[in-house]
Amino acid sequence: MAIDAANPVPPSFPRCAGWDQIPPHVPKELIRSSGIPTGEEFLAAPHDFMARMHQDYPPIFYDVGDYGNAWQFIKHEDALFALRHWEHFSNEGATPFPRDPNDYFYFIPIEIDPPHHRKYRNIVDPLFSPKGVLKLEGLIRQRARDLLDEVADQGECEFTTAFGRPLPVSVFLDIMGLPQDMRDTFVEWAIDLLHGKDRESMGRAMKNIVAYIKGAIAEKKAHPDEGVVSRITHAAPDGKPLSDKEIFGFVIFLFIGGLDTVFATLNNIWLWLARNPERCKEIIARPDDIDDIVEELLRRWSVTFSGRVIAQDIEMRGVQMKKGDRITCVLPACNFDPDVFPNPLEVDFDRPRKTILAFTVGVHSCMGSHLARLELKIALQEWLQRIPKFSVKPGAEIVYRPGGVVGPEWVPLVWKK
Amino acid sequence: MPKVTYIEASGASHVIEVPVDENVMHGAQYNGVPGILGECGGARSCATCRCTVDEVWAAEVGSPATDAEKELLEGAEGGFKLNMRLSCQIDMTDELDGLVVHLPVSQF
Repeated sequence: MAIDAANPVPPSFPRCAGWDQIPPHVPKELIRSSGIPTGEEFLAAPHDFMARMHQDYPPIFYDVGDYGNAWQFIKHEDALFALRHWEHFSNEGATPFPRDPNDYFYFIPIEIDPPHHRKYRNIVDPLFSPKGVLKLEGLIRQRARDLLDEVADQGECEFTTAFGRPLPVSVFLDIMGLPQDMRDTFVEWAIDLLHGKDRESMGRAMKNIVAYIKGAIAEKKAHPDEGVVSRITHAAPDGKPLSDKEIFGFVIFLFIGGLDTVFATLNNIWLWLARNPERCKEIIARPDDIDDIVEELLRRWSVTFSGRVIAQDIEMRGVQMKKGDRITCVLPACNFDPDVFPNPLEVDFDRPRKTILAFTVGVHSCMGSHLARLELKIALQEWLQRIPKFSVKPGAEIVYRPGGVVGPEWVPLVWKK
Repeated sequence: MPKVTYIEASGASHVIEVPVDENVMHGAQYNGVPGILGECGGARSCATCRCTVDEVWAAEVGSPATDAEKELLEGAEGGFKLNMRLSCQIDMTDELDGLVVHLPVSQF
């Protein structure tokens, strides 16, 4: 049954986790415990691990883990099918973020299935469309240059602190219509919330974010402007204003969805660039191919996963899956499917264009994808212009952080001044 | 405002006003025309906004603008024809007022 977005209630179906909660219809030979996204073997080299899955795992298998059991899809074709058939693979209840059951809200629009989903997307899509984000190009470029001014002469930096985080956060604040002096606070909140050391610091961050966002919504109610928060606050699809719960769930989802994924993507790519100086040269030598370069880097360094809940029993590749089962599309593995992308770990800017899964597909395809592409493009252009040759700081240990967004924690870099 | 006629595979047609500089994909999406999905939102990444430009308009609209667009169209279900385009890559102009596009049975 479709949920009522204005009156949110926590999902009623159970979450299975661990070895003693495997439903009886799951065949024993398809049960694995891959350790994604927290196991030692996975974290040693996550992208290599996910590329190897095509040899080491069945195309569809049932993964048992402490955080939740779910069918895993690693074939490009299967992920396209699942993400495009919401009547079988629902988003309702599929987002794992814990919320207060007494003040429950939905993440909008990710947790809303069609047909209601489109009315929310129509509110913001024009701003996040390729043309919409292009209006921000000058501003993003300036923000990138300002950050580079601070580090270029130093000959070294920790990439994520100096550039990878502040760039997307300041762009996010611009697009949302929030003040730039919140930049460092937002970075801190995002890190505490998504990678907090303990539940207490995560809870504190969530509380701060909730209070700030509620305040910002109240402020935009009184003083409308051109930013996204104001646009959502004043939206009235089909003449009906959004409820406070809808507005809040929409704004907070953009915060959670839009920051960490960009940090991780940039970290992965800059680590690769630092280790492959000849590829930096190639990118510099091919300025007209920047869009193809961005697309291929996003394929090679995808960072996340996409979950659904099975809404009607379904069979795929002879595997019976039942209503209430969860599935996870291992998006980076799908982008390494050798049937679609031959020699998948090779970064090849001349691959024929095919659908990549960095941003998923289907109705819930990432609304921020054009902004992410533009940020990556500008970051590459501006960085390589100022710092064309750089490497990983000798002795630096690269550690991947456990969790649903895959990337190295820190990327210490050095270059000749 | 210039108008676009979208003709579904079933024959049902929708006449929609699409502002100059907006693309033909958004014209359908924002006005509830079925048959154009536009999953990737216009990034030349998915080929789910495919349309066949009516032959009368084919020359005016032109062939795929980039290799990426052509490769996606060639890789899509149902085969490639020269007057096929990704509707996200057709920007409206006053000259295109009256444009007619035909939509496939399915985008995937």
